[in-house]
Amino acid sequence: MITAIYKGSKESAGSMNAALKPRLRLRTPSEYAGWVLSIFVAIGILSSVLTNPNFRWEIVGKYFFAESILRGLMLTIFLTVASMALGTLLGLALAVMRSSHVKPVSIAASLYITLFRGTPVLVQLIFWFNIAALYPNLMIGIPFTDIGMAIDVNTLMGPITAALVGLTLNEAAYMAEIIRGGFSAVGKGQIEAADSLGMSAGTRMRKVIIPQAMPSIIPATGNQVIGMFKGTSLVSVLGVAELLQSAQLIYARTFETIPLLIVASLWYLVMTLLLSYPQSKLEQKYNRASSNLPRKAKAVQLTDPEGAAR
Amino acid sequence: MTTTPDGTIHVRNLRKSFGPKTVLKDINLDIASGEVACIIGPSGSGKSTLLRCLNGLETVDSGVLKVNGEDFGYQETEHAYHALSRKRLAEQRTRVGMVFQQFNLFPNMTAAENVMAGPVLVKRGDRKAAAKRAQELLTDVGLGQFGHHYPAQLSGGQQQRVAIARALAMNPEIILFDEPTSALDPEKVGEVLAVMKSLASKGMTMVVVTHEMGFAREVGDTVVFMDEGYIVERGDAREVLGNPQEPRTQSFLEKVL
Ligand SMILES: Nc1ncnc2c1ncn2[C@@H]1O[C@H](COP(=O)(O)OP(=O)(O)OP(=O)(O)O)[C@@H](O)[C@H]1O
Ligand SMILES: [Mg+2]
Repeated sequence: MITAIYKGSKESAGSMNAALKPRLRLRTPSEYAGWVLSIFVAIGILSSVLTNPNFRWEIVGKYFFAESILRGLMLTIFLTVASMALGTLLGLALAVMRSSHVKPVSIAASLYITLFRGTPVLVQLIFWFNIAALYPNLMIGIPFTDIGMAIDVNTLMGPITAALVGLTLNEAAYMAEIIRGGFSAVGKGQIEAADSLGMSAGTRMRKVIIPQAMPSIIPATGNQVIGMFKGTSLVSVLGVAELLQSAQLIYARTFETIPLLIVASLWYLVMTLLLSYPQSKLEQKYNRASSNLPRKAKAVQLTDPEGAAR
Repeated sequence: MTTTPDGTIHVRNLRKSFGPKTVLKDINLDIASGEVACIIGPSGSGKSTLLRCLNGLETVDSGVLKVNGEDFGYQETEHAYHALSRKRLAEQRTRVGMVFQQFNLFPNMTAAENVMAGPVLVKRGDRKAAAKRAQELLTDVGLGQFGHHYPAQLSGGQQQRVAIARALAMNPEIILFDEPTSALDPEKVGEVLAVMKSLASKGMTMVVVTHEMGFAREVGDTVVFMDEGYIVERGDAREVLGNPQEPRTQSFLEKVL
């Protein structure tokens, strides 16, 4: 019998051992149709992109590493990092305020969030750029005394400052909601346990609430970073020479509009892909940490001998 | 202010409402140092709420509440009780441990770190000394080998024993237990009750809300029977459980025993 099996497995189709036969997937006509259609579309697009001379790929290549483009990219990265960092800090403060027991504080925070999430960020950016129309002078000093100085808001609120302020304040509103969502995922029992040990509010926040809120905050923040990176292109309307504006400045001169938009788009794409790798890694890590299944399975194995000993 | 912190609890005319619902109505209770008091009663009678008032997880509406010989959470003046600062309240709380039905271990910390949380994060003590003491406490509750395990890697009974060790690490005069074995598989109940029993024999003041009548009879000094926000009957554990005086206690015990 055993010899028969060995023999069978070595022999060709007709007498093949049933246990070793591969199992084939069902392929429907629509699956083949899908393949064919996709390949046709891909070939069509590719050939058009490569053969249409209006794309001017040689110009894309020429400007891809151009100094002004790279400088614009740096400014885009700076705006992303700075407004994400400041926005996250402000968002954390807003999230804490939002869950405050002091009613006016929590109302103030939720008003802020409503206002900044409810209006377009483009409008906010233009608004901050023109804030001097509303407050021409900023007084810094001690109220009801002569001590202090006036600052001309128009000079203070240059394009980059306005961009930073606008993006940060807007981002803070979104981060506040993300962080608050993370906080609310931490059980009431955790807070009671911390309180019953006599933990201070700050320690409780740093050692108990934030570490447990991280698994839901981190992936969402990753999405925000990617969104912010592309969102910085909006500040081109303020004349800030970030990536898009740098491209626009060139094609305003040379009229090579499409190739330069492609240059900018390729850089956005490259950076987004670079960012999404650490993001998916983080997501995986925190998904694993928050899911109980693998840990539970391990737990049974570990506790068994000890439980038996008792 | 001649009394020294001593593991006593005195409650006079304590009232507590949630909105329109009065959950504790005129509670009077004295618990002596080293006493093991078991609180029993039907669901919704206010047992947890009373226990939570004793370490400030709930505020009380009126009445006198002295824990460890001090007004708890408030400072008495001629006309009113003034709420203490969070810092002072936290200080008082460190002397009253709490063990929860759902364990409430910090899942982001190992068992040892959980036990060290109080000494290190609250009392700002030396980390090395705290780690050594955590190891001793974990050994005491039979988990000497499990210090580096995370709560999710421990069984319910083990988690609850870590929770007891965590409460003990603060050297409290009093420990409160809210149904510490209700969330456990039946075969794990014994290991937690054993730890509590040894704690009682060391003279710890313990207030235990429990449905374990066997534990109340064996380990408890007194039994407090609560119903609808009142303490209906209180007395020697074996007396109350064996020979209840109040009809409501009698009918409750008939149902659970
Ligand atoms: N935070 C709260 N807000 C409103 N009502 C509450 C709150 N906590 C408790 N209650 C109510 O107070 C009553 C007493 O609750 P408590 O938890 O003290 O009962 P218990 O005796 O511990 O019951 P159990 O045996 O089911 O744990 C219940 O009717 C409950 O609904
Ligand atoms: Mg309860």
